[in-house]
Amino acid sequence: MSFWDTFLPSLLQGWLITLAMLALAIPISVTLAISLAIGRVYGKRPVSLLAAGFVGLFRGLPLIVTLLIIFFALPKVGVYFAPFWAAVLGFIFCSGAYQSEYVRAAIRSIDMGQSLAARSLGMSKFREVIHIILPQALIRAFPGISNEIIYLILYSSLAYVVGVSEMFAVSKHFNSLYFRSIEIFSAAAVVYLVMATTASVGFRRLENRLRIPGLEVAR
Amino acid sequence: MATVWEYLPYMFQGVVWTFGLVGGGLALGFMIGLPMAIGQVYGGKQARAPIYGYVWFFRSVPLLVLLFLFYWGIFPASGSKLDPVATSIVVLGLRSGAYQSQIFRGSIESVGEGQLTAARTLGMSKLRGIYHVVLPQALRISIPGWVNEYAIILKDSAICFALGVLEILTRTRYVVMATMEPLLPYFIAGAVFIALTYGGTELMNVIYERIKIPGLIGKM
Amino acid sequence: MSEAEIVLKAENLRKRYGEHEVLRGISFEVGRGETKIMCGPSGSGKSTALRCLNLLTTPDEGRVWLEGTDVTAPSTDINKIRQKIGFVFQEFNLFNHLNALKNVSIGLEKVRKIGKDEARKIALEQLRRVGLEEHAEKYPAELSGGQKQRVAVARALAMSPVIVFYDEPTSALDPHLIGEVLEVMKELAREKMTSLVVTHEMGFAQSVGDEMMFMVDGRIVERGTPRELISHPQYEVTKSFFERIQELYGSER
Repeated sequence: MSFWDTFLPSLLQGWLITLAMLALAIPISVTLAISLAIGRVYGKRPVSLLAAGFVGLFRGLPLIVTLLIIFFALPKVGVYFAPFWAAVLGFIFCSGAYQSEYVRAAIRSIDMGQSLAARSLGMSKFREVIHIILPQALIRAFPGISNEIIYLILYSSLAYVVGVSEMFAVSKHFNSLYFRSIEIFSAAAVVYLVMATTASVGFRRLENRLRIPGLEVAR
Repeated sequence: MATVWEYLPYMFQGVVWTFGLVGGGLALGFMIGLPMAIGQVYGGKQARAPIYGYVWFFRSVPLLVLLFLFYWGIFPASGSKLDPVATSIVVLGLRSGAYQSQIFRGSIESVGEGQLTAARTLGMSKLRGIYHVVLPQALRISIPGWVNEYAIILKDSAICFALGVLEILTRTRYVVMATMEPLLPYFIAGAVFIALTYGGTELMNVIYERIKIPGLIGKM
Repeated sequence: MSEAEIVLKAENLRKRYGEHEVLRGISFEVGRGETKIMCGPSGSGKSTALRCLNLLTTPDEGRVWLEGTDVTAPSTDINKIRQKIGFVFQEFNLFNHLNALKNVSIGLEKVRKIGKDEARKIALEQLRRVGLEEHAEKYPAELSGGQKQRVAVARALAMSPVIVFYDEPTSALDPHLIGEVLEVMKELAREKMTSLVVTHEMGFAQSVGDEMMFMVDGRIVERGTPRELISHPQYEVTKSFFERIQELYGSER
């Protein structure tokens, strides 16, 4: 069998693992980001401090260190994660922290009058946030969030350190066997390029759909 | 088996290497990014296309892949024998250049066109105008974005452990292996990174406050 | 007036911000079908008073009753009370992410829990009432100031409130747009919609206002019919205020 006949299928498998990690990490990190932002803006002191601490921690730690701590250090205190789940968890925490900053800024940028109008209709704080504030904030935060998601797509390659057989791990493995480095890593680069570009184009399309006159998606 | 504490000096020495990577990467990125930004804003279509291609490439491929592509592939193939540190700095720099070019581009664009026009009516050539009028303003406006870039490169530098560069993370991993003790070393490494990230950005913010142009808004 | 006819009653409202006392004991009543006007120089506390009435601002002292229910009592569900009070803001405060129709219907859907179709029907009816049913699909940014404010009125009316508050509804509008909003407000006044209006528009006050309260520095200085206050004010301060208004705003509207 030629080199490519062995490499490409393995690369594809690695790519599927990458996709699986992303399929989990992306939606959950967005949810976490929204929760953290709401906690910081609307929560009582203990909640908002906790959220701020969480965000500060995972924005200060390099993602790679977070992954290593989750997978190698936590078992020492009895918390075990399989490689795949350690990676996904690390991605969720790290990306969620970064995304929450965008959501938080967006929420705070919403004019007070929106809140006053909502309350004057008899909406509870909960309803006001869900129906009036969040929809506008998420539209404003969209560019930031989509940027972070693209970063996540690229940084998913770090999962190899905890032993996940995603694309980069596969490439590294084949490199150590065949040493056809340029071909191997170019192939991997191409796949990431396509993923990142597709996501970027997709997000721009989505952004145009979400465009509401007057609610400028602040860049 | 030695305790973690005995390895602390060894671990902290990594900070020097980390700063080497960060400093080198930022500097190279600056030297690439600023001209590219100027080219993007003031150059014609001929200039913009390749610049955009460069930016697109280095922002769409993971750092890990780039590191290995260059270290194992491109550099050996082109004959240059670059060691892990040099390779890391080059790759970090090439990548940072792409990101910095967009920071500078945004800043240059936000210095209104009127500034350059006014400069030219004073008799300055376009180049002089850019150098004496636009850039001083644009660079100051760029500082917040640039401080952010520092924080990002600092964290990315840890990824260079994959090439064996003796920065903080590489040394941390050696300590973990040597002491069979993963908890403390990684926590210490984490604390160091957090301190360098927030301490560094705080320091730069303080300096920024000193040299800020009153009235010129730079988002922090 | 018998108790049953009093829609809103405010007693001794006080509010201070730090050292500055904005409201120094305001008391008044609004009867059913009445259009009551509040006017006075800026800083007199008129807007603060309005916001204290539905607890958008919490008064430091004083009580408020809406149709007999103590609004200020801790046990009262303020959201239920607010559903019965329509509020039209100076800056419109239309929900930017919703078109005109949804702006009007959202209160019905999410607060009153009325079904989507029913809410939509009611919303369209209210937009028709203010003359904007062709603009139902437009977003706030696509509407003129006068149109925005009329949507705001429709939004307030859709909830079938027992009283409507207007907080300087025309102050943020370009002069040529003020008329369309005042027309809507006059029509509602003629239909006997109980209203409390903070405004500078003396023409409007004289044409449909039943009673006017003149406020200075957090106190109600004079009350009476608009005509009385404007032509025969009791106090010097009232007199000079209205003279100034005449100067600034000129002809009646």
